[in-house]
Amino acid sequence: MPEKIRFSVNGEQVELAVEHHHRLIDVLRDDLFLTGAKEGCGGGECGACTVLMDNEPVNACLVLAVEAEGREITTIEGLAKEGRLDPLQETFIKHAALQCGFCTPGMIMSAKALLLRNPHPTETEVKEAISGNLCRCTGYKSIVEAVLDAAQKES
Amino acid sequence: MSETLIGASVPRKDSLEKVTGRARFVGDLHLPGMLFARVLRSPYPHARIRSIDVSRAFRVPGVKAVVTGRDFPNFVGLYLVDRNIFAVDKVRFIGDPVAAVAALSLQAAEEALGLIEVECEELPGVFDPLSAIAPDAPLIHENLHQYKRVPAYHPVPFTNIANHVKIRKGDIEEGFKQSDEVFEAAYHVPHMQHCQLEPHAAVAQVEAGGTVTVWSSCQSPNAVRKLLAVAFDIPVGKVRVITPYVGGGFGGKAGVSIEGILVALAMKTGGRPVKLVLTREEVFQGTTVRQGLVARIKTGYMRDGRLIAQAAELFWDAGAYCEYGVNIVRAAAYSSAGPYYIPYLKTDSYCIYTNHPAGGPFRGFGMGELHWALDQQLDQIAHRLGLDPVEIRLINAARDGTTTATGEVLKDIGLAECIKSAAKKIGWDEPKKPLTGKGIACMVKAPAMPGNAASSAVIKLNEDGSANLLITATEIGQGAETVLAQIAAHELGLPVDRVNVAQPDTGYTPYEWQTVASRITYSAGNAVMRAAQDARRQLLTMAAEGLGLPEDRLTITAGMVHAVDDPAKSIGVADLALGLTMPDGSGRYGPVIGRGHFIPEGIEGLDPETGQSAKAVAHWTFGVQAAEVEVDPQTGRVEVKKVAAVYDVGKAINPLLAIGQTEGGIIQGLSVALYEQLHLRQGRLMNPSFVDYKIATAADVPEMDVGFVETPLADGPYGARGFGEHTMVPTAPAIANAVFDAVGVRITDLPITPEKVLAALRLKGKGGE
Amino acid sequence: MFQPFHYLAPHSLAEACTFLREHAGQAVPMAGGTDLLVRMHDRQLKPVYVVDIKKIPGLNGISPRDDSGLTIGACTPLNAIARHQLIREHYTLLAQAAHSVGSYQIRNRATIGGNLCNASPAADTAAPLLALNAIALIAGPDSRREVLLQDFFNGPGQPVLAPGELLTAVKLPPLPPGSASAYCKLMRTKAVDLSQVGVAVVFAGQGLRIALGAVAPTPIRATEAETLAAGRPLAEIDIQAVARAAANSASPIGDIRASREYRLEMIEVLTTRALTELFTQLSLNPAARREE
Repeated sequence: MPEKIRFSVNGEQVELAVEHHHRLIDVLRDDLFLTGAKEGCGGGECGACTVLMDNEPVNACLVLAVEAEGREITTIEGLAKEGRLDPLQETFIKHAALQCGFCTPGMIMSAKALLLRNPHPTETEVKEAISGNLCRCTGYKSIVEAVLDAAQKES
Repeated sequence: MSETLIGASVPRKDSLEKVTGRARFVGDLHLPGMLFARVLRSPYPHARIRSIDVSRAFRVPGVKAVVTGRDFPNFVGLYLVDRNIFAVDKVRFIGDPVAAVAALSLQAAEEALGLIEVECEELPGVFDPLSAIAPDAPLIHENLHQYKRVPAYHPVPFTNIANHVKIRKGDIEEGFKQSDEVFEAAYHVPHMQHCQLEPHAAVAQVEAGGTVTVWSSCQSPNAVRKLLAVAFDIPVGKVRVITPYVGGGFGGKAGVSIEGILVALAMKTGGRPVKLVLTREEVFQGTTVRQGLVARIKTGYMRDGRLIAQAAELFWDAGAYCEYGVNIVRAAAYSSAGPYYIPYLKTDSYCIYTNHPAGGPFRGFGMGELHWALDQQLDQIAHRLGLDPVEIRLINAARDGTTTATGEVLKDIGLAECIKSAAKKIGWDEPKKPLTGKGIACMVKAPAMPGNAASSAVIKLNEDGSANLLITATEIGQGAETVLAQIAAHELGLPVDRVNVAQPDTGYTPYEWQTVASRITYSAGNAVMRAAQDARRQLLTMAAEGLGLPEDRLTITAGMVHAVDDPAKSIGVADLALGLTMPDGSGRYGPVIGRGHFIPEGIEGLDPETGQSAKAVAHWTFGVQAAEVEVDPQTGRVEVKKVAAVYDVGKAINPLLAIGQTEGGIIQGLSVALYEQLHLRQGRLMNPSFVDYKIATAADVPEMDVGFVETPLADGPYGARGFGEHTMVPTAPAIANAVFDAVGVRITDLPITPEKVLAALRLKGKGGE
Repeated sequence: MFQPFHYLAPHSLAEACTFLREHAGQAVPMAGGTDLLVRMHDRQLKPVYVVDIKKIPGLNGISPRDDSGLTIGACTPLNAIARHQLIREHYTLLAQAAHSVGSYQIRNRATIGGNLCNASPAADTAAPLLALNAIALIAGPDSRREVLLQDFFNGPGQPVLAPGELLTAVKLPPLPPGSASAYCKLMRTKAVDLSQVGVAVVFAGQGLRIALGAVAPTPIRATEAETLAAGRPLAEIDIQAVARAAANSASPIGDIRASREYRLEMIEVLTTRALTELFTQLSLNPAARREE
């Protein structure tokens, strides 16, 4: 039986009825048409579905939609503010820190969470923070450089 | 023409969409009335299907269609047509599709799957290539002799050998006789998965007029179109394949994958679209995997390090179906000298059916597997002779004037320079610390494609002076959109952001054979270059008339056609895009449409008995990687500290993307070297998820140093050669060679696990090798 | 996608325990869900009810106790444990172990209670807690009990919990000044992997406590090794001999993560490394140096 929940998505209040067995990723993608977060494995192993819940990264495939009640969810679609790209988005473009792009939304959200809790990470800290986001294309080096560059920019 | 665009690191054209989450993949599609599909797959590695009863499945509310092999028994396949969309008489691996359901919800589809009753009689299975070729082995394809095939492939009827490719270069016995010494060893490669982050996804819909539209996350829209047309007996022009961004391919989305399942369902849903996105487990188990290999290599050589003769037996564990895999086995055969010159060569490459998941292309197309053997063997020979591994490679490196395995005489080869550069980057001659070591490995690869594999491109100019580039090359992450736009912009004298690149839609975009074989920059690049030159000629013709100047005095810069010596005498591309307007308002000519195509010329087949051919492939690309490792002698763990890579790419059209491609290849190679293996027990996959199929994470990334040599290729656009796949090929042997250098043990079966290293160290401690 | 189930999030322990007991076999408790939901995704588990226990007051958080030990609520996420100042200082190995679980995203959701109640032999927090002599606080619909963590595991996937019982917290006894601890884990990739072998060592004023993960049907204490070290000054402990003895306590299986033989060997190597790290910590610790 669907249950009505209220939560915030990218700064907007949302109220909708969700099935108990639906996951946060399902609601974001299928009900709210926020298809930026991707499902790469469904088991919390690849990180492609990473979104922020109260500014902390979670795998949206391992969160029930009902658990979003009262929480603030940020997806890749909510990162650019008033048409201005987030510094991470800019540095990902500059460093060509993406190829197929399927892991990119989750990767950027993990990096965003890192910079929120640690604005000046070391290279090792960046690698550690994104180690739950698999990328099969880039070899990660350009991604690490993009994150470090964004940290530099924001300071 | 602006010279700056070729060789310029312009930003990726797809990057804004991709960093904002707006880039659309097939899984993101929501169509009105869309149904959701699930696939019933075989739980048996080998069994005869006695009966299938789907009647109960139809009783689940919301179920709209159920299909089995009885509904669509046609065969499908690229080179050897050995596969059905759903198993018909037999299932041949765990994961073989047996039936599919389309329903209003995934949940209903899943429930219905559980109600399909399949009665099977289990048959004995075959799980390794050597037992599969034993005389008494159960046959996996009894009707192999009846299968349609392209003539270049040689199945052996009434065996499990789907293709046997022979290379006979000179008299091998004579070669061994001339050699001072002979060395022989065997090497093993397990099955692997591509692990594209995007699981395979497709949507199919049958229009009222009979047109079948398929949105597919595939590498080869035109190949999918053709294979579906044959399998379903539909005119090719009535199949429309649309491919938005593809979330990684690496060969796993080459040819046809799940599209047939969707079309079969869509034909029974009264026009409603049907969507299927595979689960990660299905991707691991049900899609093509990298074939396993047992390689036995025997090499004769001189004491000065020169290779004289090589006899190779390659036993490929090609899995249950070989429709595509037969060509990997062929490519390995004609590449079996590797990047070296060997005067006498005898190779037997066997494509062998087993009851394992179907093998297929995987970045490198057999070269990763082949070079794992070849480049270790050369290293072993170097150590036997007391020669430096770099030196022995320089002695034997293919160079202008030497011949390949098929007898082709090479030219424009920059391998030696790559070796020297990679050695320098890794600090080859610097002293090393205890337990650390350095290794080097070379590679070569050619695009493995039919001699008539074609590309084409269309460029339409718009009235604002911008251009739309129509191609059917897919953007699978490699940067095709960006590089092809760069080429078009360069020829047209436009900024790159004025070139819009259409995504493949076989209904509208022109023919492209496949986005495989590292061939897009080379082949589609040529087609785009010619299309742009065609459009440019049209612009110049009109401008000449409009300006009253001869064409050869005109050029195009920044969207203006102008006199070479007088920029003031000019007319805008925008003003010419739809035709030339005369001073009196009348018009001449018409909208500019440039067309270009490309087929590499002069490719010859292999002689069926000797495998000899004066030009077996379009071109060869060489590269080298060197690795530095540290080995923990207590745990056996190998830490890769640094990898250097140097490739002769002919011309790096976008160096930033070329470097990124190489770094990605290195890490995929490192991952394959240290971690990856599909653990198959009696055909059952024990690790169908990232929990136990580990791939490299960001934490595993070593220092990387990438460089390029640019020896132009005569028929490459601006000299460019294909090299995308090549970047992962030599990483594993380079690491294995470095491990040997560090601790004196040689691991010949992938992956290089700590357990194997430790066991080898023990053995060495006891005096074994 | 999961198969349909009912979700409920009780606000009291009694409510949760009563429901779980009444619907035993049909209802499963969920904390972070990072293991449970994966098993449901893979259809290994098809519960009718999922009982979210995260909203029950008092189950989430780390609090110092009067005896200067700590209580960690069962629903405390692993990231909170890994970065907690007191845990990092006094129960170093637990912070190390919590940090070694999965990815950052997983550790944001995965809880210490979930890690223990799955009763996986490889659970990273289990061996450290065993070595810390931690106590599991268990609540039932109408009773509460305390169990030494050592006695918490019956077998793989089998905690001692009766239907309707929940692990509510883990009590860490105080460690005297001059204590030290370390957790060494072997895994395949450099990050985000399950443990092939885990070794936890604690020095708490006297004697060594050693616990092992992923090398027996449950996490275990290496009692033989502990006995060998007992009653000796640290300086006289033969690390090699203790490490060898640790391996004797284990009865690992071979699986695709590691063979039995490799695990046995690695217990020795990791125990040696953990003890070496521990001794290094102690020699840097003035209180400990005085003791020697």
